[in-house]
Amino acid sequence: MFGWTGKLLHVDLTRGTCERREIPSEILHAYLGGRGLGVRLMRDYFRLGPFEPDMPLIFAVGPLCGTNSPTAARLACVSRSPLTGTIYDCSAGGRFAWRLKAAGLDALFITGKSPHPVVLCIDPVRDELHPAQSLWGKGVKETVAALKERGSVTAIGPAGENGVLFANIMMGEGNSIGRGGLGAVMGAKGLKAVTAQGDGVTGIADRERFDAARADVMRLFLASPVIFGELGIAEYGTPALVDLMAQRRMAPTENFRSTFFAGSGNYSGPAIRKECGARKEGCYGCPIQCKKASAAGEPLPEYETVNHFGALNGISDLHAIVRANTMCNELGLDTISAAATLSAFGEARGRFPDAAEVASLLADIAYRHDQGELLSLGSRRVGEVLGKPELSMSVKSLELPAYDPRGAYGMALAYVTSNRGGCHLRAYPISHEILRKPVPTDRFSFSGKARIIKIAEDVNAAVDSLVACKFAFFGATLEEYGELLSAVTGVEYGPESLKAIGERIYLTERFYNCGNGFDRSHDTLPRRFFEEAGSAGEGIDVPPIDRARFDEELQKYYRIRGLDEDGGFGDRDLLGELP
Amino acid sequence: MRDQISKYTGKLLADRSACADGIAFAAQDDALITAGAPDLAALAGGTLSRLNSLALVAARPSLPFADFLIARAGEGEECIVPQDTETRTFLHDIPFLRKKDLAGDPAPVLARLLGNRKGVIVEGIGIVAVGAITVEQAFINYSSVFHSTFVKYLQDLLADGFRLPGEREAFEAFRRQWLRPLFAEGLDFAGALSLDKNGILAEIERVGRYTVERGLVDSFFGNISVSAGELIYISQTAASLDELKGCIDPVPADNSSTTGITASSELLAHRKIYEQTGARVILHGHPKFSVVMSMLCDRKRECAIKDCWKECPHVRDLGGTPVVAGEIGAGGLAKRVPPVIGASGSAIVYGHGVFTLGRQGFGEAFAAMVDVENFCREEYFRQLDITKA
Repeated sequence: MFGWTGKLLHVDLTRGTCERREIPSEILHAYLGGRGLGVRLMRDYFRLGPFEPDMPLIFAVGPLCGTNSPTAARLACVSRSPLTGTIYDCSAGGRFAWRLKAAGLDALFITGKSPHPVVLCIDPVRDELHPAQSLWGKGVKETVAALKERGSVTAIGPAGENGVLFANIMMGEGNSIGRGGLGAVMGAKGLKAVTAQGDGVTGIADRERFDAARADVMRLFLASPVIFGELGIAEYGTPALVDLMAQRRMAPTENFRSTFFAGSGNYSGPAIRKECGARKEGCYGCPIQCKKASAAGEPLPEYETVNHFGALNGISDLHAIVRANTMCNELGLDTISAAATLSAFGEARGRFPDAAEVASLLADIAYRHDQGELLSLGSRRVGEVLGKPELSMSVKSLELPAYDPRGAYGMALAYVTSNRGGCHLRAYPISHEILRKPVPTDRFSFSGKARIIKIAEDVNAAVDSLVACKFAFFGATLEEYGELLSAVTGVEYGPESLKAIGERIYLTERFYNCGNGFDRSHDTLPRRFFEEAGSAGEGIDVPPIDRARFDEELQKYYRIRGLDEDGGFGDRDLLGELP
Repeated sequence: MRDQISKYTGKLLADRSACADGIAFAAQDDALITAGAPDLAALAGGTLSRLNSLALVAARPSLPFADFLIARAGEGEECIVPQDTETRTFLHDIPFLRKKDLAGDPAPVLARLLGNRKGVIVEGIGIVAVGAITVEQAFINYSSVFHSTFVKYLQDLLADGFRLPGEREAFEAFRRQWLRPLFAEGLDFAGALSLDKNGILAEIERVGRYTVERGLVDSFFGNISVSAGELIYISQTAASLDELKGCIDPVPADNSSTTGITASSELLAHRKIYEQTGARVILHGHPKFSVVMSMLCDRKRECAIKDCWKECPHVRDLGGTPVVAGEIGAGGLAKRVPPVIGASGSAIVYGHGVFTLGRQGFGEAFAAMVDVENFCREEYFRQLDITKA
């Protein structure tokens, strides 16, 4: 078999066992890897609660991982989110995915609950669990340092150990498995970290075809101003978007009360480069290198992080924002949800936290001290406890990132149809509504958006299963990645067959969610977006979203998806139809 | 979506890339709609309904070049591979279906081909192109296929001469009737541009329209900029040159802001050209004869370099205009054009297009592009006539 290893490591933490098993090739061909494979492996478990011992925590790489396919040394982590209750996946880079594949695995399937903290150590010779009491309570950096001899490390911090509902799993290089609280799932299993090392090589079925496809991808990267342009993400990282979002009047500010923050220039891409000496960093083998680090090697914050610790909380102090980012990385907290929860809390109490208070509140959250006990539950639960549920700017309990939906109607629709809640990365319409890739669309129009969002969700489900980085698709398309995949695996794939796989994955996720009680009532935005205007300026008006038009487009989306008016499957046994 | 279909039908007519009675679109939101020539509309709808995409255009090109390319292809061949930058970067190859292989409803096999590519050619029917997320994208892909097949046919003709019955006559009709004189006279330009923002934006919009209206470029292919003190005003990536209103980015010369992340991928080339020449404006487009002639090289047989478009270190010459290699965007184009463009005020990039300068305004740049394309057109026919003789 080329591309895949065909092997899964099943770890039962209750019994303390590790066993390598075969993955049927028809499952790999039908779901690729990453998100798709993880979602398929959840089929018998999706009704379990996130913290039940039998709930799997799955790490899955893709068939391109281990080759020099651009941006493909990634994995997806899949489980059920304690924050949202939905099926949940997150794509992450770094080095761990490459090491896991080199150890001979397509996936890691972890169930059970260890009676004492453990570390899972994987290499081609043996897979073992080791006691980790000495690491329990340690921060991410110290944990990674203690385990670095065993290969690449992924670990949780105190937030995951303490069950914070938006705790991350952190990669040793600073990347994160973020947003949905899978760090808390890992913590509930008593698993402090996983290490992986190996020397396996991913076989390529047709090297000449692969080289040609890779050259095509690289040519498109060079032709993309967003990727390799002199103002693009390879130069400035995702904070390159700060100035653009300010100019477009869609930078969420003070818990989305407005959409422009006068101080945003303090944490723009050029400002970070100047103030922090930002240099290029990135995931293993990635030509883009969009991550930025300080001169001292400290990971610098992404766009969503600078906006949410910045404008969303009314803070313009770049160094305070960088400190908040560093704290979150160390404690194992999701930066978007942490900052958005603080913002909702701030609006509820009538005062947003200042820079100094942010740091103490983050620590309180991770250790669930004082106010942190409540804040550790995320903004929806905070709002409900404080009697102001409308102040949680979330969808399905997942806090919205830094793209105001009043400024991009495709984004508004995409937030509510996302299977993991308020996330920008599922349909990712910012690509065409703001960044003009592959072609521009009118951001203040719903026309055609239902179909566009559906197609993009399918495309990105495939991308998350390859597993490639979404940023690659600011230049390349599934045409080129289909060629890479065909060349690597020897199995023919193209854009349409990949979109069909993506659709299968998307519908499976939705089916799981519906099985757990989600329906149309959960597919909506906070009412602020329908009732309050954003900040006008530079000739741009940002009116409230027309709710009737929004609902009309949502119904169109359901019809295009083959769902009923309530967004459900009726009597359809979807899983019975699928491989 | 019907307004979009109407708009892009009009564009296909205006740029004369499709026959007036041979254009159809299909688009699907929650329902499938079709419009245009009935047979083609049925084909478009039948094909699109099998695809996870939003729009599709099926149109009969106004020139028979795509059909000729199929007829000239070897028996076992299933696609053509033009060498221009447009194809190499965005299309890769262009699959085709022969008339003899069209039994029954061609929609399923067309859908299968379009499942892997942005556009295909169906012999005797036309070019069918898909738009994954917009009607405009289908139009752009049609234009790309039309452009690439035009360029490849002219290249092949120069290399191999006429080989098909009726080919010579059809080509003569193209030469005498389809092609129109290309000239800059009769257009209004602002003369010396000031630093006034509104004036600059209006001038860029107007010049963009001119390039399309005069047939220098097909809509969409190219970019335009003005240097104004600490700013460069430049058309955005994926912007149609005849619709630049609201699609021009002001980019600070010192990169103190990144709002220009949406600017054309050629921003770096424009910036370096300004730095090295002191010009006020740059016009860039993809006139077809310039693209064809840029790929002719009498040293190809003995030269060790095979990836000429990016590796060739030589500066060739076409009527006083330097020709250089270089990939688009952040590729070598941004390094190779700036050093050579200052002396002549124009430069051609291998397989790609033409850059021209204006020291004060667009009048000079526009006229230069017309001159370059006219020279290449005349030179093409001169060489073809020699070949035929």
